[in-house]
Amino acid sequence: MSAPSRLRIAVVASDAASRSRLAESIAGSGHEIVDLTAAPDAILTDCAVDSSTPAPVVAIGSVEGEIAGRLPPDATGEQIDAALRAVTAGLTVRGPSPTNRKFGPLAEEVWPVLTPREIEVLAALSDGLSNKAAARRLGISPHTVKFHIESLFKKLGAASRAEAVAKGLRRQIVEI
Amino acid sequence: MPDIVQNPLSGLSDTLVERARQAQPLVARIEVEGRPARSGTFWRKDVVVAAEQAFARVEEAKVMLSDGSSFAAHLAGRDPGTNVVALKLDGTPDPAPFTDADPHPGALALAFGADEAGVSVRLGVIHSIGPAWYSRAGGRIDRRITLDMMMSGREEGGPVLDADGGLLGISALGPRRRVLVIPTATVEGVLEPLLNKGRIERGWLGLALQPVLVPEGMQAEAGQSRGLMIMGVAKDGPAAQAGALAGDILVTLHGEGVSRPAMVAQRLGPEAVGQPIELRLLRAGKVLSLTATVAARPSG
Repeated sequence: MSAPSRLRIAVVASDAASRSRLAESIAGSGHEIVDLTAAPDAILTDCAVDSSTPAPVVAIGSVEGEIAGRLPPDATGEQIDAALRAVTAGLTVRGPSPTNRKFGPLAEEVWPVLTPREIEVLAALSDGLSNKAAARRLGISPHTVKFHIESLFKKLGAASRAEAVAKGLRRQIVEI
Repeated sequence: MPDIVQNPLSGLSDTLVERARQAQPLVARIEVEGRPARSGTFWRKDVVVAAEQAFARVEEAKVMLSDGSSFAAHLAGRDPGTNVVALKLDGTPDPAPFTDADPHPGALALAFGADEAGVSVRLGVIHSIGPAWYSRAGGRIDRRITLDMMMSGREEGGPVLDADGGLLGISALGPRRRVLVIPTATVEGVLEPLLNKGRIERGWLGLALQPVLVPEGMQAEAGQSRGLMIMGVAKDGPAAQAGALAGDILVTLHGEGVSRPAMVAQRLGPEAVGQPIELRLLRAGKVLSLTATVAARPSG
């Protein structure tokens, strides 16, 4: 089943200015703006809405309550359109966390320390290279690559190449 | 026997209520247009401090104090290193003086935030206390104090008090929303430069580093079994200009062995900016010595 290209959206805003701003943000997507009582497919809001609303809600900015779609205040028209379609399809939408939290300690040694060769082999694995291709890139034999991969598996507690790459990527590189 | 024995829970509860009442004048509510209100700490006359990461790209704000007074404020300085932002107000009274606190693991701690109706309160224990630590942005935080409590982003930057009402510092949200305390001494240490210059300059080499084992054959010559592999070199940064390359292993900085990133951060405080620093590196099986001039960490 494909989603209808034109949704019926009710706009609930804190004041007239933000109402017209919200309406404008979806104007380009071709949706029909309807009254809250006219069986909308979804509701777009920037303020608290009654929890007994008849349709899933997409909220812009920080809005209290259980809400199907949450977007940051600077969400683009495309993002709002995508969120409205997603909640209409019964999905939950979350934008990236509103504040880019960067504060925290420098990464210390949470992981076993790798050798320079293991780091190079891990980089080759994350580029999707085969053992043979990794060996060519590093100028060592495929047998040696295999040896380093086994050591990586053991150190990172990984059972597959994908797991080793995933765990290896979490190793934090510190910029100083 | 007295007829009525004081219920110890009521006693505790009454004390907490009393602490909240005392803390209220320290709590500032910070409003920025188009964003949810945030919390700050009324630090001294005309100065409110808050969490830097909560005020990205903000210049002006409105600050409300607990007595209902409201002030226009501008962000006089920000330091991502210690997660402190200083807001300058005009014409506030003096805040209630606060006493220092001496944190102990297991001691009760109260964290306050600004709320529509006044203050919000969190209660928890001091989860752990550790030595000075370095943040990703290079800031030195005098003590590592973590709290066993939850906190929302709106409350971050408010005051944290101990059971006696002493000020431990201001709250900060770390990775996985762990609640940390930026100690009073750390806030005091950055406040003057923030108010005067707007930022804290910290040393920068322009290196991306990762701990690595020194290859066995090189350990004797390097004098250590671990080093920091250079994973990237910032273009035209101090290390690049000195000739450092990705793949080199940094073993000493200014003659001292470095095996953990914090050991490098320690050598790159505000006093290091503009100074020459010697880097000993392992490259292609040989030890190499370079001298870089430490630059100020670019902001952002």
